[in-house]
Amino acid sequence: MTWTCDLIEARLSDYLDGLLEGAERSAFEAHASSCPDCAPLLASVRSLVREMHAMEEVEVPPRLVYAILDKTLGPRETVTGWQAFLQVVRGMATPKFAYGAASVFATLVILVSSLGFSFRNPKLADLRPTNIYHNADRQAHLVYARSVKYVSDLRVVYEIQSRLRQDENNLQTTPEEVLPKSGPEKAPGQTDDRSPSQPRQQNRANEVSRQLELLAAELPLMSGRDIR
Amino acid sequence: MRRHTRRIYGICYRFTGNRTEAEDLAQEVYLRVYRTLGSYRSAHGGFATWVTSVTRNLLIDHYRRSKRDRVTDSLDDKMAVVENKESAGRRPDEQALLGELSLQVQNALTKLSPELREAVILRDLQQLEYAEIQTVLEVPEGTVKSRINRGRIELARILQQMGVRPA
Ligand SMILES: [Zn+2]
Repeated sequence: MTWTCDLIEARLSDYLDGLLEGAERSAFEAHASSCPDCAPLLASVRSLVREMHAMEEVEVPPRLVYAILDKTLGPRETVTGWQAFLQVVRGMATPKFAYGAASVFATLVILVSSLGFSFRNPKLADLRPTNIYHNADRQAHLVYARSVKYVSDLRVVYEIQSRLRQDENNLQTTPEEVLPKSGPEKAPGQTDDRSPSQPRQQNRANEVSRQLELLAAELPLMSGRDIR
Repeated sequence: MRRHTRRIYGICYRFTGNRTEAEDLAQEVYLRVYRTLGSYRSAHGGFATWVTSVTRNLLIDHYRRSKRDRVTDSLDDKMAVVENKESAGRRPDEQALLGELSLQVQNALTKLSPELREAVILRDLQQLEYAEIQTVLEVPEGTVKSRINRGRIELARILQQMGVRPA
């Protein structure tokens, strides 16, 4: 079977993508190598595709992330928006709970944990301001007013996080996940919250660092390190 | 989030060829994603695919909207002026960043029909699998393949008309 120019054009990408085999491939090549119209066409499309595959990924402007946060989670009351918000959260971090560069998230997580949200058995309802109010102890009352807005922001982030996590779990099971990790639950000398011999805070801190890893992985732009 | 932002912004930029426009559109995509999060089902082929679909639908809406605006204005020659200004108004650092040839490819892309443009962007610039593109565009595999093929050929011809010959 001899191939027409139209057929060559129609199958050009199949050929370039290596989808033609045997007789089809030879027929394609026979025509393309000798035809004065198809030979240059093949050459230019081939180099175009090569060029496109080599093109650099577009660099995301850093300000875009702040703009997105402003737009989705609502603008901060301050003029400088999220940058200022992160400053405030940093300011709220106590040295006791400061986890190095990730202190921003540690603070948020601790804040929410202390308000009665369980990361071990998370329920969206726990992030509802009224529920937090009811669960709150005396100390929490003091931060209630300031935290409600952060918490509802976090609620959106949480919702997205669960989607992402779910998505990732479905797609891939990484080796680290398969291996039994010496995670918070299994580490020696540690028990769960029911044990009176262990300080609650220890477990909470472990939960926090576990959660931090997750947050840091998915939201690296907010972790403080990348703020430019 | 960064991964998604990169893809969303990348698609928007490649489609519009304009950084400011791409930034605005990426923000709108996120807004739409957050608002319609409840309608997401894993059956749609994963979160990334779903986000890509949202991006694509928004770009098409945007394209139709701006096309309608153009028609209402019926100032075709004014459009040409705007287009020239846009390509002439690129910052020098952007030019250096993209490289001469990439810049020509980008310019040629925006001259492609949106239908072919999106197919080529998803396949050759975002390097998605055919199956994923199929889900995003909601057309059969044969259509996806033929759009990518026609898009590439068309793009090569536009570049030739522009006097560009990829080595
Ligand atoms: Zn021919």
